[in-house]
Amino acid sequence: MNSLRSSFGPVLSLVIMGLVGVWVVGMIIGPQLIMVEQSLWNKEIGGEAAQISTRIDRLYNEVDTLAFDKSDAEALDESTDRTEKIAAITAEIDTRKSTITELEATEVKPIKVYSFRNYTLMGASHFFIFLKTIAAAVAVTVIAFVVCYPIAFAVAKVATPGKAAMIMLFLIIPYSINELLRIFAWLMILDNNGVANLILGWFGFESIPFLGSGSGVFIAMVYAYILFMVFPIYNTVETLDGSQIEAARDMGASTWQIHRKIVIPHAKPGIAVGCIMTFMLSAGSFAVPNIMTRGIAEPWFTQLIYNKFFESSNWNTGSAYAFTLVIACIVFIFMMMRFFGVGIKDIAK
Amino acid sequence: MRGMDIELKDVSIRFGDFTAVYPTNLKVNAGEFFSILGPSGCGKTTILRMVSGFSNPTSGEILIGGQSMAGIGPDKRPTALIFQSLALFPLMTVRENVAFGLEMRGMARGPRNDKAQELLDLVALGDQGEKIPDELSGGQRQRVAIARALAVEPAVLLLDEPLSALDLKLRQHMRSELRDIQRKTGVTFIYITHDQGEALTMSDRIAVMKAGVIEQVGTTDQVYNEPSTAFAATFVGANNMFKGKITKTSKGEAEIETKYGLLRGTNPQNLSTGSEAILFVRPEKTLVLSGKEKAENTIDVTYERRDLEGAFVNLHFQREDNKFTVHQTNVDLKSFDKGDQCTIGFDARAAMILPDGELADE
Ligand SMILES: Nc1ncnc2c1ncn2[C@@H]1O[C@H](COP(=O)(O)OP(=O)(O)OP(=O)(O)O)[C@@H](O)[C@H]1O
Ligand SMILES: [Mg+2]
Repeated sequence: MNSLRSSFGPVLSLVIMGLVGVWVVGMIIGPQLIMVEQSLWNKEIGGEAAQISTRIDRLYNEVDTLAFDKSDAEALDESTDRTEKIAAITAEIDTRKSTITELEATEVKPIKVYSFRNYTLMGASHFFIFLKTIAAAVAVTVIAFVVCYPIAFAVAKVATPGKAAMIMLFLIIPYSINELLRIFAWLMILDNNGVANLILGWFGFESIPFLGSGSGVFIAMVYAYILFMVFPIYNTVETLDGSQIEAARDMGASTWQIHRKIVIPHAKPGIAVGCIMTFMLSAGSFAVPNIMTRGIAEPWFTQLIYNKFFESSNWNTGSAYAFTLVIACIVFIFMMMRFFGVGIKDIAK
Repeated sequence: MRGMDIELKDVSIRFGDFTAVYPTNLKVNAGEFFSILGPSGCGKTTILRMVSGFSNPTSGEILIGGQSMAGIGPDKRPTALIFQSLALFPLMTVRENVAFGLEMRGMARGPRNDKAQELLDLVALGDQGEKIPDELSGGQRQRVAIARALAVEPAVLLLDEPLSALDLKLRQHMRSELRDIQRKTGVTFIYITHDQGEALTMSDRIAVMKAGVIEQVGTTDQVYNEPSTAFAATFVGANNMFKGKITKTSKGEAEIETKYGLLRGTNPQNLSTGSEAILFVRPEKTLVLSGKEKAENTIDVTYERRDLEGAFVNLHFQREDNKFTVHQTNVDLKSFDKGDQCTIGFDARAAMILPDGELADE
């Protein structure tokens, strides 16, 4: 706080603090609280309440029909008959409207019932999908690490500066294209009639149902989140003094030992950040599984959440599902930090 | 004696168009404390990296213990390198650092910790094993690096200016410790430095290097007393200089025509009459002449100031742009005032005439 003031002055630091506060409350705490609250109640739609709402609906229909009758009558020539007719219809409409107001007064009061019911609603099949999604996100994280660590190390320590810049450029360029387009590109490659199977066909292999088996999701996801793994690792490996690697080699360490004893321990905070980001992004990814499975393969948990919210319009269960995923991610973060033996402070560096 | 000898045969290395080391022949004897002395950027580290296997010579061959090292990586050579930056592993304890090489060779934890303890005792850090390098002082870190390198029982220890980061007192202390360790272990040391005092106090032999070329190799006495080039003469120790042209030679001596008259000195390289040359005379062999004292060569100069070093004193004189120093022991000193006219002088035997050439900066 004091250091903020000394580097930005009192006015600017108040503004900064204010903005940060608004951001934290408005974008993080607020929505989370609303979601948790939503997940904890249900609207009780008991037998009577249901009857009332059907009655209201019927009355509205009748009012509409009467309104048509009325405009028909108004179209007639001026006569006493016409005046009577209109008066009679207007009277009928008014009685119905007052009944509606009466009924609506009793209906408007929603019967909120707080309980953990939403959390227990998840059926065995959905729970299985939840577990599968978590396991898949872990797998994506592991694959991304295996792919990205060598890249990050090569860029940071092996390549000449010029080559390193080239590799980085090639990694970054695809990210200037819209995410959906990138995923569609993979769709075209991995489709049953896609490029990958075409090439396999040339070599006489049977075509592989990448999309149907769900492996397409993996491939596209590893690709989609590769930078989030490469950069944190690259940043930490960069800071390793190259002579430590040489010293280890001088004392007889093999390449594998150098990485296990020197490079990886040094890069731990970066690896932890990369794993956490990749895990969160892939566990929470909607676009990739939605496009890559397209109903052929089993959905990911995020698709279930989407369905709850926007297809069955059940925001309460949807919130419960979403919050379950948040908890799983937080647990994962702490497990990763435990596993790597790094604290919040190391990661902040 | 477990040290091995090292031989460089026509070894050179180029980086792109730049030749960092010109074809060099050098032989370092087994169990010797050998220093490579030269100014910054002259290629000292580059030579060491070739010997340890981190870079490959563009031409020539390196032999260690009579065996060619071509195609043998740093992990397979009987050498251990102590880096200019030390390169201790900051996440490991001192003991783990020292035991690292043994661990890599698959030694079990018990014996390797015993060995590490033995080495820590050798460098007087027996009770610091559980600290991490950042918790040690500069000199202690230095000794950890030495212990770590010795742990793999190298036949050759390569040290790249390991003392340069230390303060003067500690540096002087570490010099004698290094010398002790070298004697105790019998390992061949190749020690790199740009500090001529360091090289002279510790070494058996010295190579003086300039811009990718080794100018002179010899014992400390030879390099100090009989420098072979103008550069070696000025880089190792100080010298008073007189530039000129040789006018006469006779029986190992020569006469050189300088701005301040004809001067006589020895002519170790038998330079011929007419060649451009420089006469060098060490400050401790230069005398301040009072009325009755005589010397073969004399120059009239003006007294400037003195630097007192305790037991010694350096008297500084000047004539036009040329500065001259006389080094005396602090006994019965005559005192001068600034601007006093004096005469300095030296015998021909004390001076040396070498071919004209590039001098060390200063
Ligand atoms: N990998 C390299 N690529 C290009 N030039 C290099 C490389 N390594 C060294 N050089 C050049 O070779 C010359 C000698 O370098 P070196 O590191 O051997 O100097 P040094 O004598 O150890 O100097 P210092 O006392 O400053 O450590 C320098 O001019 C340096 O720029
Ligand atoms: Mg160097």
